[in-house]
Order: sequence, then structure tokens, then C-alpha cells
Amino acid sequence: MPESIPAPLIIETLRQTFREARARLAAERPGGATPEYLGWILSVPDTHQKSVLAALEDVPEIKVLTCATEDEANAIAAGLYIGGEPCLLMIQHAGLYASVNTLRGVAIDGQIPIFAMIGLLSREKDKDLHESRSSMVRYVEPLLDTFGVPHARLEGPEDLHLIPEYYRLSRERRGPAAVLVGLETS
Amino acid sequence: MTMKPEDVLRAIAEARGEAIVVPTMTTSPAWRGIAPDDLSINCVGFMGGASSLGLGLALARPERRVVVLDGDGSILMQLGTLATIAGAGPRNFTHFLFKNGVYHTSGSQRVPGAGKLDFVMLAKGAGYVNAYYFDDLEEFRIKLPELLTEEGPIMVELRTSQADQTPMTAPGGVPFPKQVTDLQAKLSAQ
Repeated sequence: MPESIPAPLIIETLRQTFREARARLAAERPGGATPEYLGWILSVPDTHQKSVLAALEDVPEIKVLTCATEDEANAIAAGLYIGGEPCLLMIQHAGLYASVNTLRGVAIDGQIPIFAMIGLLSREKDKDLHESRSSMVRYVEPLLDTFGVPHARLEGPEDLHLIPEYYRLSRERRGPAAVLVGLETS
Repeated sequence: MTMKPEDVLRAIAEARGEAIVVPTMTTSPAWRGIAPDDLSINCVGFMGGASSLGLGLALARPERRVVVLDGDGSILMQLGTLATIAGAGPRNFTHFLFKNGVYHTSGSQRVPGAGKLDFVMLAKGAGYVNAYYFDDLEEFRIKLPELLTEEGPIMVELRTSQADQTPMTAPGGVPFPKQVTDLQAKLSAQ
């Protein structure tokens, strides 16, 4: 059975993910300036991850930029990546559907590493994603598979290691990668 | 009165200094020839994304000017970006908007609200620090150095005719992934 993941655990994982990303960037570009913050989260508010977004307001070392659309978030992520800044997206499944063309153009054809945490609003605790009554939940994995986007499920605290792993994977393959946040964060 | 977009682009190329430039759609073919360098990255393949791509660059590189060469049809695809840019408040961001009233690339269909849209008002309403319009090349040339240095984000609506070329009539150029690695290398070296 999936479990809700507490926001503090996710935020600590994000800190570690960004620290690792900064260290890699510093190794690639010795002598470069080190900012006071760790990285950027580009968010289009997600009901499913709202406890994380709320808690991030008290985490000054992680910058959160709220975007009007997920299309924007993808393109801003491209600019941050080119400029040498670690970043990730926090969106919901509806936002994935809304921004598929930009995901294709920027991350797939443009070969820009984009890692997204995608909230599965309305996902039932006692059903597999493929059996969900919600089409938004049911079609996420088939859509990602169609576009060849590697993805994994965050079904509880023991899966948090997937965040840095899939972040690294997006960088290594120069393309998109995603984790699916199964239950609303606590 | 309108300006020729190629004349406007030449003026920007002369004045830009070390600014990163993000052209899109009908500014792209001309910019390739006018500024074949360098610190430019074309926004092609995700229409409406140029200003967001530029915003990311401006946030990542606050010490360097970022100049977006947008179009009226393009920005209408992502008009919410005006609010996102204003909210982020990049001080190093100049948003040039080439306003010709049509989707030139796809056959010059009129954009929604053509002849009525006022991007100066839209940008100011969204919270840009300042916004201007120009329809005279010489006036634009005189003001240009200031537009490339004053505190952003600023919007500059440029009332132009249609470009000589579009990405459909003049395809080509360096593939986007190669532009990315080239720009990263240049930024790392400086």
C-alpha cells in the first residue's frame, strides 16, 4: 500500500539532490562562483504536493519560482540549465498533459535535462494507477512511456532515493525524467 | 510608421555587447546572418517559449544582460509569462517584442486582437519595471543603449513590417542541442 511522504523528508532529499548537483557543476567548472542557494524549484502549484510547497517557504537555500504554466516551467528550466543552475519542476499530472508539446520540443528534441516531480491528484490508495477511476491518473504512465520518458513511483518514504537518481538520470541522458508522487504529501 | 525588422536587428546587434540573445520565429533567420556568433540561442520548436527561456538564462546569469527577440504571435501563446517574468523580477532582462500583427511563418494570418493589442500596457499591467514602444528606427537607435542597461524587466514593443524570411522560407541553422553546448562552453569560458 502506498504511504504519504512527510514534507520534511522530501525537502531534505531535495537539499541533498541540489548539493550533489552543485558539486558536480563545481567540478565541471572550477573557479566558478558559488551562489548562496542550492537550486531552483519551478512550480505550478500542485494540490498533491502543497505541504512541500508550503514548507519550502521557510527554506531560503532553495528558490521557488511559481510559473503561470507548465510550458513556461519547462522553458525556464532550459534557461537555468544552460546558465549552469540546478533546477527541477514540481507540477501535477494535469500540467504534464497541458505541456506535452513543450516537453517534446525542449526536453526531448532539444535534449535539455528536465526532472519533474508530478503529483497524482485523485490517485486512490487501494488501486494501481492503471486501475484508477481518474483518467488523469490512469494515463500518466502510458503517456510518459509513449514519449520515452523514464519514470518511477514515489510510493512512500523508502522511495525517496529515486529523486536524486532520476535527477541524475535526466542529466546523464540529456532529456526528461520524472517521479510520480503517489499520495498527497503530509 | 513601421520599421524593417532587419534594420532593428542590425541596430541591436551593434549595441548588444556581451548580452545573451534569444531570438524566435521570424527574427531567427535574419539574426543568424546578422549575428552569426555566439551568445545567441534560438527558440525554435516550442513556440511562445522564448521569453521563458530568456528568463531562465537571466536568473542563472544575473551579471549578464539577456535580450529576448519575441514576436506578437509567439507571446500570445504564453501570455502568462509576462506575470511570471515580472514576478521573478530579473534586473538584467530586456524583452523586445516585434509586433507585425500576423503569424508570418504560417502564412500571415492576423493575430487575435491585431490592431488593438497594446503590449506596453500589458507589460506594465503585469508588473514590468518599464515598457516602451518604437515605430521610428532613429528614435530606437538613440534610446537603445539605455534599453540594454536599465533595470529590468523591461518590455520594448517594436512596430515592424514583416521580415524578409521566416523559419519556413529559410530553414536551417545550428541544431538546438548544439547551440546549447556552444553557449554553455562560451559562458563557462568567460
